[in-house]
Amino acid sequence: MGGIVGIYAYHYAANSVDRAELLRIRDQMTARGPDGCGEWYSSDERVGLGHRRLAIVDLSERSVQPLVNASGKLVVTLNGEIYNSRQLRSALEAKGYVFRSQSDTEVLLNLYAEKGEAMVHDLRGMFAFGLWDGEKRVLLLARDPYGIKPLYYADDGWTIRFASQVKALVAGGKVSRRKEPAGWAGFWLFGSVPEPFTTYQEIRALPAGSTLLVDRIGTREARRYFSIADTYCQAEAAPSSGNDEELQIEARQALLDSVRHHLVADVPVGAFLSSGMDSAALVGLMRDAGQKDIQTVTLVFEESWNRSQDEAPLAAEIATQYGTRHTTRIVTEREFHDDLPKILDAMDQPTIEGLNTWFVGKAAREVGMKVAISGVGGDELFGGYSSFRDIPLCVRALAVPGRIPGLGDVARWLLTGVDRLTRVDPKAGGLLKYGATYPGAYLLSRGLFMPWELEGVLGQDMAYLGLRRLDPIRHIGSVLKPQPTTSFGKVAVLESSLYMRNQLLRNTDWANMAHSLEVRVPLVDVNLLTRLAPVTTRYRPQSKRLLASSPSVPIPTKVIDRRRTGFTSPIRSWLQRDRHVHQGRRVPSLAVDHCGWSRRWAFEVAELAKA
Amino acid sequence: MTKSSLRILVLVTDAFGGHGGIAQYNRDFITSLTQSDRVSDVIVLPRATPTLVTSLPAGVQYLPAVNGRIAYSLAAIRAAKAYRPIDVVFCGHPFMAPLAVVIAKPLRASLWVQVHGIDAWEELSFFYRKSIEMADLVTSVSRYTRQRLLGWVGIEPTRVKILPNTVDSRFQPGPKPNHLLERYAVRGGKVLLTVSRLARVEQYKGNDQVIRALPLVLLEHPQTIYVIVGDGDDRPRLEALAAEVGVMENVRFAGHVTHEELPDHFRVADAFVMPSTAEGFGIVFLEAMASGVHVIGGNRDGSLDPLADGVLGRVVDPYNREELTSVICTALRDAPAKVDRADRFNFQAFADHLHELVGSSFISASNRAPRMEAVQKTVYDQNTWNR
Repeated sequence: MGGIVGIYAYHYAANSVDRAELLRIRDQMTARGPDGCGEWYSSDERVGLGHRRLAIVDLSERSVQPLVNASGKLVVTLNGEIYNSRQLRSALEAKGYVFRSQSDTEVLLNLYAEKGEAMVHDLRGMFAFGLWDGEKRVLLLARDPYGIKPLYYADDGWTIRFASQVKALVAGGKVSRRKEPAGWAGFWLFGSVPEPFTTYQEIRALPAGSTLLVDRIGTREARRYFSIADTYCQAEAAPSSGNDEELQIEARQALLDSVRHHLVADVPVGAFLSSGMDSAALVGLMRDAGQKDIQTVTLVFEESWNRSQDEAPLAAEIATQYGTRHTTRIVTEREFHDDLPKILDAMDQPTIEGLNTWFVGKAAREVGMKVAISGVGGDELFGGYSSFRDIPLCVRALAVPGRIPGLGDVARWLLTGVDRLTRVDPKAGGLLKYGATYPGAYLLSRGLFMPWELEGVLGQDMAYLGLRRLDPIRHIGSVLKPQPTTSFGKVAVLESSLYMRNQLLRNTDWANMAHSLEVRVPLVDVNLLTRLAPVTTRYRPQSKRLLASSPSVPIPTKVIDRRRTGFTSPIRSWLQRDRHVHQGRRVPSLAVDHCGWSRRWAFEVAELAKA
Repeated sequence: MTKSSLRILVLVTDAFGGHGGIAQYNRDFITSLTQSDRVSDVIVLPRATPTLVTSLPAGVQYLPAVNGRIAYSLAAIRAAKAYRPIDVVFCGHPFMAPLAVVIAKPLRASLWVQVHGIDAWEELSFFYRKSIEMADLVTSVSRYTRQRLLGWVGIEPTRVKILPNTVDSRFQPGPKPNHLLERYAVRGGKVLLTVSRLARVEQYKGNDQVIRALPLVLLEHPQTIYVIVGDGDDRPRLEALAAEVGVMENVRFAGHVTHEELPDHFRVADAFVMPSTAEGFGIVFLEAMASGVHVIGGNRDGSLDPLADGVLGRVVDPYNREELTSVICTALRDAPAKVDRADRFNFQAFADHLHELVGSSFISASNRAPRMEAVQKTVYDQNTWNR
């Protein structure tokens, strides 16, 4: 766990690795790994790897990274956790491989020696790593199937640099700061920067579930080794055949297996607890997996305290039910204003969310947690969002008018033309244009701004170039290949591959790593998905109950019956009162009274990211 | 022809018998292709052959030059038909990219586009952009040109590789030639040199900045003479500028210098200076380095590549006169420069790299692999993982 960096001067004309640059990149990520650091350089100085360490598994010095194998030919730097490393280790030992430490990092070295690039299929976990094969003179970059851990690279044609954070690569001082219009367009459209783009032209995210090989002619094409869409298609082709009870048993076993794997650590593993089903069920399953001593933490905002939207009482009830050591942390408005500059500084890429995540991560660290379990991914896996209902409805309702050529554009023109007078939501203008297809309806569902609004916030040239390069509808549609047949499958793929990947998982990473806290997400797990997709695609729309019913000690019925309240924090009004925040009132489209607060907040984030 | 050896159709402006950087690059390219055992045939169709072609590398079919856009296009299509099967169509200039697409696509041949400098920096019209986006491989002479190209072309960056210019072996260190010391009356003094065309449309070369810095340089090195090799319609303006700045006595306009005389001109210099702002690469920097003189270039364009970001030569902000003056003075003060700096860009390194590119999946397997944004689209076939 921690932060990784690497530089490979692959081209014959390139300068050797600049050690000072490598250290600048590495130490920009000190918060990700405060427990130690390391560096390694090849004898010809063409390759350098670095690491910042957050010690979780095998706390000894033998696990310091970058880790070199016995022959000295293989070197790896890893960010993340390999949850099945013990099983892999046993299998490799049976084949004669010798281990010198207990770390999962060493498993990577021997697994690569055994299987080469194909090793990624065997890994269960959240990971991003760079592995140098000195014999073949090849650098392998790999990222976990869901993209839980980040991995960015900048290839200038001579040298490739990679790191866990965009800001770290920039801090190295040798990566171009030229803006990427597609990344910016994506931010304004979705509220987060969609991979593989970043806000810099030269820096790209290695797509989730992909590997990238770099040899002496440079980067080869990234190869995708896992696809969520493919998994759903396979699940639909072979749905579970059992009755409700059997499906429940299968779900429980799969969930328990995932939670058990996510508890592997040499430090205590705690949990975030809200008043929702996902976190409650996970704490219950942690108990079932055999963890007796569980530390939990709940976040409460000062203005919500003792009001109807206060999550604390219900969370406390869950904590009592499962006998956890529970802490309720109150965030005051003063603290919010004090932290805001730090939040924006830690934010690796612009995003309109992640403020809550910052504070809950901070609270967890304050009570001594180093690893926390989070319920992220439950809504994607079990169809918890309203989009699972709304998107298919929209597509069905607009299927016929949506096919009439030009109608969508005319409607958009008419509606957005009178928008300022009638306060029509900008998305209403796009209903006929986009609503008839899943990618289009998804843009309407998750969109922050509509494509025709970008000119107002980005300027004409950037907006034009950004939309051309991103091609938002095609970008969204690209994750639906192959396309699942059920509406549940389609929406689950869209939410998991776009919103969760680019927004939730990114926020989970930067906002917690800033506090040196490792967050694990048992509901974002390939083995779990593979086992559950045949169940959830059949069991909809009640599939969230599969999760709620899984712990052997049931979660309180009040939690199950509670209506979803959504985002209820007072952050909106706090932001309005913050002296650093100007609400984007100098941009006409943001100055209107009915403009949503998240649109104005996006403006602030963008302004600060550009600074 | 074995399965792994390729037949390549090369469409270029000029190569053998041509002058200038692009012609030299194309000659290196074609010669390297013939050295690669992955290539069986090289068919070259030039737009122009300014001088008689006396010798060609073995294995090259060098077709007669065809001038005029339409005639050239028809000749290219005829050549492609006559020499079928063609595996790769190489296009030496972005302006030829649409023609290369028309030839390559029906033949299911791989498309390889070369970019040099300013030709690829600004956005071209729709057809040119689309044609470049259809390329399986793009090679750029420098990182800067690559970055500018990627600013407007929607191609996967992994498909855009660098293949830098090389330096001709006739540029070698040596004593200052007496006849040039006499000709330019520079015996006993320091010599600053620029080699560039003096065209009004190419005022970015930085001669102005050097002339303006000269009074300050002369304070420390009073015997310095600035020799400008090259000619063009901008020369009167530069002469007027030298007079205005009051350094006419210390500036020599050498005019056009023959191919044969050029190496000696580098040897006469103590420092080569060209704070340009629009170089695609700048072969002259390599020629100067190979000749053993100090080299000073700008930090805003492709010059950074031959100068290796300041490792092989000195890098300055062309618009910062103080910095330029200081760097020139330091160079004139320093001991003679190392003579092996240009070795990094030797022909064999170029040829080896080209051999690797020819053998890469971008070219060899491109028709079997999905094109364009494969990163987003490709679901990798698990059977090929050698499980």
